[in-house]
Amino acid sequence: MRRSLGRASAGAGLWGTLAVLLVWSLAPIAVMIFTSFKKRADIFAVPVRLLPESWTLDNYRTVFTSSSMPHALLNSVIIGLLVAIATLVFCFSAGYALARFRFRAARPLALFILLGQVVPLTVLLLPVYQIVVSLKLSDTTIGVAFAHLAITVPLVTWMVRNQIAAIPYDLEEAAQIDGGSRFDAVSYITLPVCAPGLAAAGMFAFLQSWHEFLFASVLATSTASRTAPVALTQFASEFDVDWGATMAASVVLTVPIVILFVVMQRYFVAGLTGGAVKG
Amino acid sequence: MTTLTAPPPVRDRQRRARPVVLILPAAILTAILMVIPIVATIVRVVASGGTGLTELFSLPNVGRVFLNTAGWTAGSVVGAIVIGYAGALVLQSARLRFAGLWRGLLMIPWIIPGVVGATVWRWTLSTDYGILNQALLDLGLIGEPVRWLSNPDVVLWAVALIQIWVTAPFVMLMVSAALTSIPAERFEAARLDGAGGLAILRHIILPAIRTTTGICVLTLAIWALNSFTIIWVATSGGPAGASTILPVLLYQAFQNGDQVLVSSVALVQVIIGGVLAVLFARTMRTDLEEQT
Repeated sequence: MRRSLGRASAGAGLWGTLAVLLVWSLAPIAVMIFTSFKKRADIFAVPVRLLPESWTLDNYRTVFTSSSMPHALLNSVIIGLLVAIATLVFCFSAGYALARFRFRAARPLALFILLGQVVPLTVLLLPVYQIVVSLKLSDTTIGVAFAHLAITVPLVTWMVRNQIAAIPYDLEEAAQIDGGSRFDAVSYITLPVCAPGLAAAGMFAFLQSWHEFLFASVLATSTASRTAPVALTQFASEFDVDWGATMAASVVLTVPIVILFVVMQRYFVAGLTGGAVKG
Repeated sequence: MTTLTAPPPVRDRQRRARPVVLILPAAILTAILMVIPIVATIVRVVASGGTGLTELFSLPNVGRVFLNTAGWTAGSVVGAIVIGYAGALVLQSARLRFAGLWRGLLMIPWIIPGVVGATVWRWTLSTDYGILNQALLDLGLIGEPVRWLSNPDVVLWAVALIQIWVTAPFVMLMVSAALTSIPAERFEAARLDGAGGLAILRHIILPAIRTTTGICVLTLAIWALNSFTIIWVATSGGPAGASTILPVLLYQAFQNGDQVLVSSVALVQVIIGGVLAVLFARTMRTDLEEQT
């Protein structure tokens, strides 16, 4: 009796904690979504209500027809793809070397790249800005993408290294015994086997670039290379903030991320070796 | 493991040359984007003959900035640890159904862009039109609206709240992963001995995931110390510098074109970061050794 009572209260505590955590995590998201469908008068109505009085798509129309957001989204996609591709090229070669070879410089080089993660980005702001300007790349998508590599390369090298280390070397050996070169072994065995992991790493790089604000805010000075996060802050930094359009733009920026996240989870679930070697 | 296999003799020379060549592009890129900037920062401060540092430490609000940085870092770390642990423990419970769904939902603050998070919170925390004040008023917890982002005494904790909201899911993920590695027999044995939930948490769970806790605290501290976007978007460091931390100070100096001050703040950040990097490297070294 007493025991089942205790169990019931433990259950209530469990679900209660979960409910509190869910409200805490999702309430701002709900505010974002519902505000984006509110009419202007509704947004500044007191008392504040979560749900719109009447629903409207006007805010989305503003974002897509009379703001720089569409161009900014395009810039963000271009920069994100450049970053993802460049990151994978750099990190696959470095990650492969770190995973497959033992050489004297391996440990220091690995630590060197790893420590890139703890360098404060603001510290790099002025020098990277000057490098990009001196390369005549300021206010271009390539310039912003170049700066973003400072964030992605240290992180992704590590991810890729671990993925390759998880693939048994026997697979590559088998291909080489069958007469292939090491290059063949890598391109026909290692690459396909870790493709899902590489795709996840590439998406990770894309996401980092999509999120990035600091470098983009100083390197992208016009609509030519302005990214979506920077464009979003420009909605909100005027004196008269259009909160409806700001929230609609926030939703637009978030939706691709949530979709990518769902896709990425499936890749992670697919596993890295995909059962290529059993037993 | 790799070098033991007999290679075809023709390729031997290439093979030995390759690892460094393969790693070189990433290393050179890291050098250009990390090492040169840090060296340039130090050179600029030294070349200025210390005037930059003098300028930094004679700023009228410099003490406030350091205190803010410390308070913001401590608050963000503690908050994210508490909430992340709570989330992980709830998700770990055998009685919980649909754990995957809840995990996905609790992850959302972590996956949305920081700029979006800060913008949405700025609206949620609005004094007159924010849903948080309205909810607290309706519940009778406060008598009048709290000026979350415009009261100098409150604003630092309000922006720390946003940082906690963004980073707690990371702790949840890390701790969840660590919890699954604790053998179930240990819990059973403790329960047979009559241990309650709190005793299990204190004597079994916390000691078993001590390394994870260390990595989490360190990572959160590094993120908080280097965090710029959330404060900048929510308050721009205001009102009157009440939420200005070192990275925000640096950005303001950058906007004013004060390169010497930028480099001085950067140098202070590098020194703080260096201490954390040593700790980070020490924690990761065990990880490295386990894997290679």
